[in-house]
Amino acid sequence: MTTSPSLPHLKLDNISIRFGGLHALSNVSFDVHSGEIVGLIGPNGAGKTTAFNVACGFISPNEGAVSYPALGQTSLKPHQLARAGIARTLQGVGLFDHMTVLENVMAGGQSRAHGGVVAGLLGLRSAARSEHSLRADALAQLDRLGISQFAAQLPSAIPYGIAKKVSVARSLVTNPSLLLLDEPASGLDENELSEFANLITQLRETMAVLLVEHNMDFVMPLVDRLVVLNFGQVIATGTPHEVRANPDVLAAYLGVDQ
Amino acid sequence: MKITQILLRLRYSSLGRLVLALLGTVVAICVVLLVSAQSDTYIANAGAMTIAILGLSLLTGWSGQVSIGNSGFMAVGAFTTGIWANHHQSSPIIISLLLSILTGAIAGLLVGIPATRLKGPYLAGMTLAFVTAMVPFIQSLGKLTGGSGGLFFANLSSPSWFANLSGDPQNFIVANYRWAATVSVVITGVAYYFMSNLFASRAGRAMRLVRDNDVAAELMGVNLGRVRVGAFVISAAYAGLAGSLVALLSGVARADNFGLALSIEILSLLVLGGIGTLSGALMAGLLAAYASTLIAKLNALFGLNPYSNLGSNSQGIIFGLLLVVTMLTAPQGMAGLLKKISHLRARKEAE
Amino acid sequence: MGAFFTSRIVSDILIGAAQGVLVGLIALSLVLIWQSTHVLNFAQGAMAMFAAFCGMTMLEHGLNYWVCVLISLVAAMLLGGVTERVLVRPLYGKAEINSIVVMVGFLGILESGASSIWSGMARQLTSPLSQTYFTLGSKTLYLSPFSLFQIGSALTLMLGVAALFRFTKIGLQLRASALAPEVSRLLGVRVSRMLTLGWIISSAVGAFAAIIIATSGSGLFPSNMDGFFVFGFIAAAIGGLESPGGAILAGLLIGIIQTFVADYLSPSWVAFTPVLILVLSQLVRPAGIFTKNTTRRL
Repeated sequence: MTTSPSLPHLKLDNISIRFGGLHALSNVSFDVHSGEIVGLIGPNGAGKTTAFNVACGFISPNEGAVSYPALGQTSLKPHQLARAGIARTLQGVGLFDHMTVLENVMAGGQSRAHGGVVAGLLGLRSAARSEHSLRADALAQLDRLGISQFAAQLPSAIPYGIAKKVSVARSLVTNPSLLLLDEPASGLDENELSEFANLITQLRETMAVLLVEHNMDFVMPLVDRLVVLNFGQVIATGTPHEVRANPDVLAAYLGVDQ
Repeated sequence: MKITQILLRLRYSSLGRLVLALLGTVVAICVVLLVSAQSDTYIANAGAMTIAILGLSLLTGWSGQVSIGNSGFMAVGAFTTGIWANHHQSSPIIISLLLSILTGAIAGLLVGIPATRLKGPYLAGMTLAFVTAMVPFIQSLGKLTGGSGGLFFANLSSPSWFANLSGDPQNFIVANYRWAATVSVVITGVAYYFMSNLFASRAGRAMRLVRDNDVAAELMGVNLGRVRVGAFVISAAYAGLAGSLVALLSGVARADNFGLALSIEILSLLVLGGIGTLSGALMAGLLAAYASTLIAKLNALFGLNPYSNLGSNSQGIIFGLLLVVTMLTAPQGMAGLLKKISHLRARKEAE
Repeated sequence: MGAFFTSRIVSDILIGAAQGVLVGLIALSLVLIWQSTHVLNFAQGAMAMFAAFCGMTMLEHGLNYWVCVLISLVAAMLLGGVTERVLVRPLYGKAEINSIVVMVGFLGILESGASSIWSGMARQLTSPLSQTYFTLGSKTLYLSPFSLFQIGSALTLMLGVAALFRFTKIGLQLRASALAPEVSRLLGVRVSRMLTLGWIISSAVGAFAAIIIATSGSGLFPSNMDGFFVFGFIAAAIGGLESPGGAILAGLLIGIIQTFVADYLSPSWVAFTPVLILVLSQLVRPAGIFTKNTTRRL
């Protein structure tokens, strides 16, 4: 995959979304570059989740366009993301309940492995070999996050913090160049929060990261840039420092009349 | 305990799966040659049922799409075989079997494409609609399908080398039964081998992903529609093969025999054996082999005339009851119970 | 004027409407249960058949037709209530597949059970009203006293159910239990009783349809509701399983379209027509034609 450093990995261009009469998003534009962690914040109901779902093709906009210029892709369907090098986590953990932790992480490499239904039926060698290397990669990913001792467990049998790590390991197994994290901090304790912050900081070396988050204490020291949404509109962008000083943002969060 | 671990390990490699399937088939052939001719007819039919159950296990247990219409695909296979047999008397059975797999798969594609838009009860209802429409449809085709009387053609007969091999060469009737059971067992072994490959493969995993969490599956790069249709096609191909085998064993293809009742029977056996596991499907197959004997014994135990109203319907009542009771009390079936027992024992040993 | 009422098209519509109201009743019966308990009752047709057997076989003992109908309806209510309490209650909150499998199993039990009690032979029910079509001059008008009763009573029953839900206190509680069980419980509604009541009503509606079907056409036999159940399910699914009005309307349409297909194309295609209608409607509006669009939950 060729990536050119000058182009953004994710670009939302003038996106508008209407649900019935409700304007969920109006003219929202922002982008995310490689080596950058961008946080998408805003009060409840501001349109964060909608914007996020637009970014990964679950919702197609009424106006505007989503593109992934550095990856040479425009408007992908959800199942095409993984192959294009884009990974997304789900709110909560979104693991596969009836599969072990190891199988869950292997599932992350689904787009990378070989073989369709016929190859599967025949038990072709090539399919078996790619399964083998996928298993090794998944184990390596679990090792990297320090949770390989849980490999054989079912998601229901492991603590929430570990399950969150499994879901991150699952999205990393494809070596994505754009990672979309949906509320990575929710439900974690102090220790786990700082571990996660460290992990995300490391990830920046090799990919672009966009995250949606409520927990300001977690977001502020972590991100390079913030995009603040309110009532479906971008009301501020900039470094955490700039955003914190922006009176509009303060007003939006405190509910002060402008 | 050790043996089950070794068996599980074997399933992870393609060579291991081949060895398992071969071993199982050889053991089954030995059984076929040792038991009575009457038991052989049960085994032969159980082979066909096992194949249908394997197909349903993939569709319902593995990909999570509940079908109560798979007997409709079996009908497609059976009539393909019947029509072919009546037009090409001397063609080898392998051709009939392959053709039936093909027509079954095509029927699966036709039903599967619209079915992928439906979920849960809608899907189950559509498969029900398919099977209830299929029976009168086949009957209305007149000469081609023999109407409601069905088609009659030559059933499997033993080649002379097999008759010589399997004991009394004079007694061709017994040799025919043995041959039919052997053919059925071999085909079942092959079908099992391919299914075990699929269960362990990337495509098999894709189906489980879709069943467990379709949104996450999509993010992993799974094309939901393709996987759902794929499961339908394979399942219907297995059902087509099973239907073909049923037809070859009896020399008859009658639409009535492939109605809703058969679908419920397959589903009952699958749920009893254990839904979504290969071992469960195999146990369901064993049950199928014993079901008629067991029910005949039960009828005798309660002094029922097998041709009375109650006696001739006891099978349906028992299957229905077992289906309901299993689902309410032990939804993982026999395979799940065995697993639980072995877990408990392992824990005891550890203590 | 007479020529119009005896024309081929009007004849088809009259025959189709008489069938269609029955399909609509079954669809209504399915929707009533689906709304409140989110179980698709695959045994609904078989339950109706079983209840019909319980009462209508009394005809052979010399009982009046309408008394037999009454016995059947009481049997249906009992069966519906017991089924909800014993079979369905343990399924709430479980995976969808569990309830499908249990209800399919129950369907098997009821059909085999009916065969073993009453045999698989079809028995003709003596109709209380003439089924001979009226004539206009020399032409046949495809309406008979019985088919008028069939259409009229089905419509009355539908309106009755609607009135029960809309205008009575019980109806309000039924609707509240289906929409917001938790809140209803807090407000003092006996939700679990309401769920049972929903099954009782649904079961009675189904049994009434089964009696009419057995009287008007094929006679009563264990699998005589299989086909009609499928049509009823398809009508309910086209309506989106949530809309009683939509289900009834779709049922009526299915009846009429089938008659046209049988008359103008071929009777062999009748069985497949509703399947095709279902597929087409799902391709157009997966959530059902008569429901508001819902977005996918992530």
